[in-house]
Amino acid sequence: MAESKKRKAVTKDVEEDAAVVSGDEFDFGQLDGTLSDDESASASESEDLYSGAEDDSDAVSIGSDSLPSEDSDEDILIPKEEKESNSVAIGASESAASGHHQEPENSEDEKPNYRIVKDANGNDRYEYDEIDPGDDSDYSVPDNAANTIGDIPLSFYDSYPHIGYNINGKKIMRPARGEALDALLDSIDIPKGWTGLTDPSTGKPLQLSREELELLKKVQMNEVATDGYNPYEPTVEWFTSKTETMPLSSAPEPKRRFVPSKHEAKRVMKIVKAIREGRILPYKPLQEEEEGEQDEVPNYDIWADEQPRPDHAMHMPAPKLPPPGFEESYHPPAEYLPDQKEKEEWEKQDEEDREKEYLPTDYSSLRKVPGYGRFVKEKFERCLDLYLAPRVRRSKLNIDPESLLPKLPSPDELRPFPTHEAGRFLGHQGRVRTLAIDPSGQYLASGGDDGTVRVWTLIPQREVWSVSLGVESAVNAVRWRPGKDTPILAACAGDDIYLCIPRLGTDSSPEADAAQAVLDAGWGYAASESSGSKPPSIKWSRPSSSLREQGVAIVIHLGHTAKTLSFHSSGNHFVTICPATTVPASQAIAIHTISKHQTQLPFRKRLKGGGSPQAAHFHPSSPILFVANQRVIRAYDLSKQSLLKIIQPGARWISSFDVHPTSASTAGSDNLIVGSYDRRLLWMDLDLSPRPYKTLRFHEKAIRAVRFHPATNRYPLFADGSDDGSIQVFHGQVTSDMMSNAQIVPLKVLRGHKVTGGLGVMDLDWHPQHPWLVSAGGDGTCRLWVS
Amino acid sequence: MAATSGESQNTQVRVRLTTRDTDLALDDAAPILIPTSFRRYALSTLVNSLLGSEKSIPLEFLINGKYLRTTVDEYLADNGLSVETTLTVEYVRARIPPQYLTSFEHDDWVSDVDVLSGQSPRILSASYDGHLRVWNTSSQVLATSPGVAHGGHGSFIKSAKFISPNQIVSGSFDRTLRLWKYTEEQDGFSASLTPQLELYGHKSSVDSVCPHPGSGRILSGSADHSIGFWSTRKADAPAAPEAQVPRSRTKDGKRRKLSETSLPQRGPLALMQQHTGPVSGVIFDSNDSTVGYSSSWDQTVRTWDLVTASLVDTRTTSSALFCVEHMPSLHLIAAGSISRVIKLIDPRASAATVAAMTLKGHKNSVVSLARDPSNDYTLVSASHDGTCRVWDVRSTQQEKEGAVGHSLYTLPRASLEGKASSAVGEGLKVFAVCWHNEVGILSAGEDKVVQINRGNDET
Repeated sequence: MAESKKRKAVTKDVEEDAAVVSGDEFDFGQLDGTLSDDESASASESEDLYSGAEDDSDAVSIGSDSLPSEDSDEDILIPKEEKESNSVAIGASESAASGHHQEPENSEDEKPNYRIVKDANGNDRYEYDEIDPGDDSDYSVPDNAANTIGDIPLSFYDSYPHIGYNINGKKIMRPARGEALDALLDSIDIPKGWTGLTDPSTGKPLQLSREELELLKKVQMNEVATDGYNPYEPTVEWFTSKTETMPLSSAPEPKRRFVPSKHEAKRVMKIVKAIREGRILPYKPLQEEEEGEQDEVPNYDIWADEQPRPDHAMHMPAPKLPPPGFEESYHPPAEYLPDQKEKEEWEKQDEEDREKEYLPTDYSSLRKVPGYGRFVKEKFERCLDLYLAPRVRRSKLNIDPESLLPKLPSPDELRPFPTHEAGRFLGHQGRVRTLAIDPSGQYLASGGDDGTVRVWTLIPQREVWSVSLGVESAVNAVRWRPGKDTPILAACAGDDIYLCIPRLGTDSSPEADAAQAVLDAGWGYAASESSGSKPPSIKWSRPSSSLREQGVAIVIHLGHTAKTLSFHSSGNHFVTICPATTVPASQAIAIHTISKHQTQLPFRKRLKGGGSPQAAHFHPSSPILFVANQRVIRAYDLSKQSLLKIIQPGARWISSFDVHPTSASTAGSDNLIVGSYDRRLLWMDLDLSPRPYKTLRFHEKAIRAVRFHPATNRYPLFADGSDDGSIQVFHGQVTSDMMSNAQIVPLKVLRGHKVTGGLGVMDLDWHPQHPWLVSAGGDGTCRLWVS
Repeated sequence: MAATSGESQNTQVRVRLTTRDTDLALDDAAPILIPTSFRRYALSTLVNSLLGSEKSIPLEFLINGKYLRTTVDEYLADNGLSVETTLTVEYVRARIPPQYLTSFEHDDWVSDVDVLSGQSPRILSASYDGHLRVWNTSSQVLATSPGVAHGGHGSFIKSAKFISPNQIVSGSFDRTLRLWKYTEEQDGFSASLTPQLELYGHKSSVDSVCPHPGSGRILSGSADHSIGFWSTRKADAPAAPEAQVPRSRTKDGKRRKLSETSLPQRGPLALMQQHTGPVSGVIFDSNDSTVGYSSSWDQTVRTWDLVTASLVDTRTTSSALFCVEHMPSLHLIAAGSISRVIKLIDPRASAATVAAMTLKGHKNSVVSLARDPSNDYTLVSASHDGTCRVWDVRSTQQEKEGAVGHSLYTLPRASLEGKASSAVGEGLKVFAVCWHNEVGILSAGEDKVVQINRGNDET
């Protein structure tokens, strides 16, 4: 204690000096001088050495500061040997100071470690030596108390109470000086209890009594405000916590402490009995408790009225992960554990190729599960995901797929349409290539590969007339001449066209006579016009008598095989097409006039683009001829003899087409259906576009025949027959409203024809008055389909 | 034990027994209690004992339009009825399914068949070969009509009927009707058919004829959409229309083969042309010879007043009709249609709905109908599906399109010989059916036979 006090005083002095000599510290001589200036300081230094003798480093540090290094080595050794030698060593190093050294050494015990200094008020002030931190190296500055402000004028600090900072950053206070200050302080007479505050109630200076000040002080110090309370009373041990080796009583433990208490047994039995009898319940029933709680503590469901808020645009919840399976368990069942081979394989695989990024591992308990090794990596990857692959809210198309389907009426509402087979016309040998129902609706004419044309009653299916037109050549087309009163049947067989009057019931009937008259009317014309421009190859002639007996009235020798024949609705004209590529272009399409027995060849050249002609039909009401070649249908105005329209259904090879019977007769537009060998059925609305309005691709094989129902006002139906042996019936309502398009509804697939030699249905025809359909099949039958 | 089993067996249900047969009606209409274990036979015995008839009449029982084929108990269980309800049980004479009896072979399709009642019934068949044949019941041909050269039909005969024991009318595809005189030898084993009168007027095939014996009138329906009304007597009939009668020479001067025997030719009393489609069936009202009914492909059944030859009423159905039959006691017209059903149409003006009932079951067009001569409620139908079906109009159920009946029995063609038939009835189509009290059900068809089926009770 005393030593430290003294040392502090010394440092103070040194400080003062340091301030003076700071400029030339390293001047050895001066340093010496300063040291020698104050004996006590050097003495204290040496004393320090002694006091801290046990601490080698301390001695070294000091030595290294002030002494040459070789000496310090000695210093280390010296204190261990003896104190005397220590003093000698110091004395050796500081030759000048050695003389004074002895005195403080001797008075060491009596001298307090503080110095009494006069403070500003003139009172005594104890100044203690500064405590040496005792550090070994880093803080071993030459002078701890030296002012560190450097070479600046001290006048900078004039307005401060300090004059600079020591090495520790502490303020170096300006030393008080002069008696004037003291006098001033003495002169100020502070009244007792002066606080410098104003009493707010009186406006006079607030004066506090001593007790009050004490109280305030205690409150400020967070102490108990009352007097006489000691918070740190010594504990009084009422009972000893230690087992005493010598207890107060040496009496042995009484027996009752080892014997079950009868009293307690009695009480327990009482409780047990009560429990058994149910008088007391061991546990409260849960529900009651809950109810009780409800009664006591009112619960409020703060989310009761919460409205589910719409997802915020910026909030995108992470996709839901599947729940963990057995494999991810810390203790998975044995079957999920990989065996050695699997384990090796997994480890061998590249990290990105692994099917799962973990290996099922078995731990006997959860606490043995180690920390998750991939934690940081996973976090990193997650951050990468968020940063590099941000989730984007995709606007979902909330469209009901059902609503995209067009609203089609159910087929049941569109009855009647052909639904079942009512009869078969059996008799043809080989394929039936063509058929037609007569305009009255009672007879069916058919022609086939056997070269016969047969006429049947529709119900029952009985053959009433037949004629054989050629053994080698098939009958390619039969068509009734429109008009109910004159049953005339045109048939194409071989290179000829035959106009027949089939015998229907009787040999002579007014209709047959009328038909005969119609056909005979042209003979005169033919005779008169024979020298005209008629091509020599086409000749209208009377048939042989045997044919005439059978009902054939006229034979037209075309010279080429006509495949299709179509009447104009007036019944006076019909157009034939010879599609074979060998036929000269000028003779492929021929228009025949019955009343004049005349054949015209309207086209001199092959139609451009689309190969040979395939089919031709007259427009039902206006003088327009539609001619289809393999890809394009052209409409010609016959009165102006000009091309009206080019229709491109987009089919690769048109097989047949039909013109809607009410086309252009009402406000509606021209409508065509086109069947093609590339399995397409196309609905063309000519006013809408030269492209198909609807493309129906329902057949597996080529479509051979398409046909509108002739009475479309009552039965808006059309049908197509295909090589796959099926007939498809459609509802095709054409409205007169220009704004609405035709409504097409598939109704029925009629199956029945057997596919023979790749050919199913060859031809179709509708009954003129009823929703009945007849079909000619490659299987040698015709079938009647009725509603 | 015995008591409990007896209890379960003796559950009783209250039934009210009714009938529409007046001769079978019970005096007491009060409900009686019967055990629910009763079947048809027990009920039949019960009703017979109640009737007190000396000869037991086999009876069938209809509950709610369905024939009772199980015990009453099972019926109640099936229909979810409690034993406490009062069942209304209608009993009808039991009908033994008609059994195949015999077939009359023809050379060609048989288009029509008719039976002449008498001491020994005679069967008339019309064939597509253009000949009429008269048979006795032991399948012997008594007479065949002559060919076209001797005044016969020039084409298929579509319809033929007895007018009287010695007169026959036939309608043909050659557009004419012919009256034939039928004379039978005393021994009953040979007869002759001689043409009497040719009736011209139709412009197309005559598909249906119906004579009325009492008034000597004939109705005919033709594919030219018209109905002819003819007289059987030569004197009554007007002259044949000139246009329809075939001329002796064709225009090109060639002589036609005409029949050697020249027949008197007559025309129709009236031609009614309101139909817009081929007329498929014509029939006289059973009670009134001045009323006729016709069915047509134009989907209508029309009622005609034959006195003024005017159209009285038109009932339009939803499909082409092929035949018509009158059911006088029910005031209904039955019409067979191409839509495979028989429609029962109320022709009275007061009728609210067109189709009173629909009989469903055929698989192809229904082309001929005949009513049971012994029962007002039963009829037989012939269809192109190769079957005849017997229907009881009392056995109906309410379905969404109205009352629907199902067939009682199906009579397949014997020529089918057990093979499966297609719905189209290829080669087996039945064209005509006739139900005679004694002979049974006769049906003619595409298989070139007239087939006779008979139930045992018809003797």
